[in-house]
Amino acid sequence: MTYQLSDNTYFWSVVFLMLAGTLSIRFSMIALSSKIVISERTKEIFSFIPAAILPAFIAPSAFFHQGQVLSLGGKERMVVLIFVTFLFLWTRSTLATICVGLSALYLLTQFPF
Amino acid sequence: MQVLKSPFFIKGFRQMVPITTGVIPFGAVMGTVFFNAKISFVKAMTMNVLVYAGASQLAAVELMDKHAALIVVVLTGLVINLRFLLYSAGLAVELQGASWGTKLLCAHTLTDQSYAVMLAHHDEFKKKSDAIEFYLGTAVCMLLVWHASVVAGYVFGNFAPASWNLDFAVPLSFLALVIPTLKNKTYWLVALFSTVVSILCYSMPFKTGLITTALLSIALAIFLTRKKEV
Repeated sequence: MTYQLSDNTYFWSVVFLMLAGTLSIRFSMIALSSKIVISERTKEIFSFIPAAILPAFIAPSAFFHQGQVLSLGGKERMVVLIFVTFLFLWTRSTLATICVGLSALYLLTQFPF
Repeated sequence: MQVLKSPFFIKGFRQMVPITTGVIPFGAVMGTVFFNAKISFVKAMTMNVLVYAGASQLAAVELMDKHAALIVVVLTGLVINLRFLLYSAGLAVELQGASWGTKLLCAHTLTDQSYAVMLAHHDEFKKKSDAIEFYLGTAVCMLLVWHASVVAGYVFGNFAPASWNLDFAVPLSFLALVIPTLKNKTYWLVALFSTVVSILCYSMPFKTGLITTALLSIALAIFLTRKKEV
């Protein structure tokens, strides 16, 4: 079976299952009121979720991207990502990170050295 | 509609305005991704209103675009949204005794941003209802900015040339989301581990590399933060 984004059943199944799942998660503790106390340990583990999953989106999309800049071994997106990581640590600005990142990639791909 | 005139609602709304400047580029990226994936405007906005969880939507659209299996798309999205469980617990005390309608509304509008603002002003309220009105102010502000920026991104994606590589804005915005959560070396180590493992697991069948990476990384986090027996 192949999944196509243009397939309505596929798209709406994703939307409604994600609605049901996400709303259940968001509503769960509110509905149970304070009958359940979440332990500090659980909170600690949950706080690692972004660190565990978001890099797994970022890294392969850049690493396996069909490179355009030969002098960087086709890994120009990796180079830009590492650069903007430091930029973000310095500026803490989402807007600056996205704008500088896109501009840097544009310059690298349009004017390869 | 009485709540819209409440001073607490207005205060919450105002507190949220500067924070939403960080949401605008993220929403714009979401809109562009919807457009580039050739999802119609109506479908895109319906998903946006119903699911209302940016990071998981971006992940889901990206996976659907790569023909990932339904279960993989949904599970990946829900793992990203598991953090809302904590926020839900955080709001539970304030919402004790509120109507089910209010509870449901507050639950659906829970976001990283409005929860963070709520947490920061937590001690300022004498009554639970004041706290809820404040929270709703933050939530409504967030809702308006998010949907407006997704619409703007969708329209803009329409005429941006391919050479601008707008798809690259997705990893960039994820980067801006993840870095603030890396509070110490352990978090950085888990993030680095996730980076390497995700590249190694990339070619796993049915796009399961992502969820595998997430589970392995959480296992590493549990191991690294275990309490040492004396």
